[in-house]
Amino acid sequence: MSQAQHDAHDGHGDHGSPFIQHHFDDGQHQFDTGKLGIWFFLVQEILFFSALFVAYILYRNHHPEIFAYAHHYLDVKWGAINTAVLIVSSLTAAWSVRAAQLNQQKLLVGLLAATIACAFGFLGIKYVEYTHKIHEGILFGNRFDPCVSSGGEALPNKKNHCHGVKSSVVWDAKTKAAAKGCLEGDFDQDPAMARIQASCEVAEVTFQGTGAKRVEQSRRSIVACDTTPLEGKTGWAARRPRAASSASPCWELINNPWVCPKGPAAMVYYGDHAARGHQIEIEVANCKAAPKPTEPTDVFGDVVRPGGPGQATYVRHEPVSKHELALEVSNGPPPPHTNMFFSIYFAMTGLHGLHVLMGIFVYIWLLIRATKGQFGPAYFGPVDYAALYWHLVDLIWIFLFPLLYLIH
Amino acid sequence: MASDHDKHDDHGHGLAHVASSKTLLGTWITLMFLTVITVTATRIDLGPSYNLALAMAIAVVKATLVLLFFMHLRYDKLFHSVLVAGGILAAALFVGFALMDSSQYQQTIIWDPSHPPLPPFGPIPVP
Repeated sequence: MSQAQHDAHDGHGDHGSPFIQHHFDDGQHQFDTGKLGIWFFLVQEILFFSALFVAYILYRNHHPEIFAYAHHYLDVKWGAINTAVLIVSSLTAAWSVRAAQLNQQKLLVGLLAATIACAFGFLGIKYVEYTHKIHEGILFGNRFDPCVSSGGEALPNKKNHCHGVKSSVVWDAKTKAAAKGCLEGDFDQDPAMARIQASCEVAEVTFQGTGAKRVEQSRRSIVACDTTPLEGKTGWAARRPRAASSASPCWELINNPWVCPKGPAAMVYYGDHAARGHQIEIEVANCKAAPKPTEPTDVFGDVVRPGGPGQATYVRHEPVSKHELALEVSNGPPPPHTNMFFSIYFAMTGLHGLHVLMGIFVYIWLLIRATKGQFGPAYFGPVDYAALYWHLVDLIWIFLFPLLYLIH
Repeated sequence: MASDHDKHDDHGHGLAHVASSKTLLGTWITLMFLTVITVTATRIDLGPSYNLALAMAIAVVKATLVLLFFMHLRYDKLFHSVLVAGGILAAALFVGFALMDSSQYQQTIIWDPSHPPLPPFGPIPVP
């Protein structure tokens, strides 16, 4: 391949390039051989990625609700920009082949550099996306511990929640997160367990709230409870589940900590008032985990009853489609196993990103060779093969983008 | 497209066909346009399966354009197209066979004994 080698065996006549190796008949033979090789490689790449598409199709078929919910975590804007960046880089890559074929050396160098710049741009945007997900705990497997729901509402997670008996929770409306403290119970990834957190004795409630006109600030002990059941989506709330007894106020934290509605950040019922405010501190003590629901339900609220050995029977409450239910929950807690979406997401985009990274190395190598003027009409195989590889990377992304970002 | 490539760069004695600038730019503009279309189409509610079908149809068109023009398959040896078609066929067979029995899978894998697995999809047994 080296110049010296070629000089030593200069028996091939006027092929015009020192890079024609002597075991090929001529430049055309070498080019066609290389091209066949790269096509075989690309075909096995298709098969390589198709294994990940199997995982995708299987999981999406079985758990459409997860995909309908989880794609809201992804920003279509970044995905669309990255698609455009890759298509631009595909153009520069395709054009670089043309430039080499027409011996436009300066244009070739410029286009190869532009392709590298686009590849870095793509990875830069992926970096922004990945960093955000790492920061928010939107990760794969048991690392999935999001700070917010896909609709952007705050969720308790391991960063703002600690195990064991807690003393107080401060809910901050501005940051939409538990500012300090923790609640009893392991919410982990299962919203079904979060419906009823724990029964606790509430020692004291402090709240700062905004009334219609004045800012109210008070601190008082709870002596009585409102027994009115709260509606499901009132943010942090506490109510007394049993008959009021001022002697020993035992409250049950109910609310769905997974859903913090817009408006009041928190609501606490005490006495015959409902306190709502931007910061409410609930001090609780002697918490016990609430009993689990007796009837196991699935994520759609359907009751699952054992139907015999190894079988179960569904009791459908409402004739609603999974899609409707998925939409319904998109602002609520993640459905169980939402982490699977991100396992698939990171596997697919990660493998694709790795290909982009490899492409950068290849293109840097091409750029160095191009600045030495090594490519021309008689020898441009590497430029062509790299461009083919690069187009395949683009092609994979053409499918990944709608499948991951554009779920309706 | 064929006539335009004849009168342009490819005079039949390069190592390979030279894509005309018109072809490259035209392909690029079409790809960008289809990207805008596919993003816009997400906002229209056609029902989940039709939205998916539309997005996939657009992706297939885009992929075909990339294969035919950016990857030169339209002007290249037929054998390379046969290879690609064979690869796609093999991938389809692989995906198809892998998913063939997927309706028999458990919906969830047991990872918490207190949450028993749900039964597989399929006809719901009548109690």
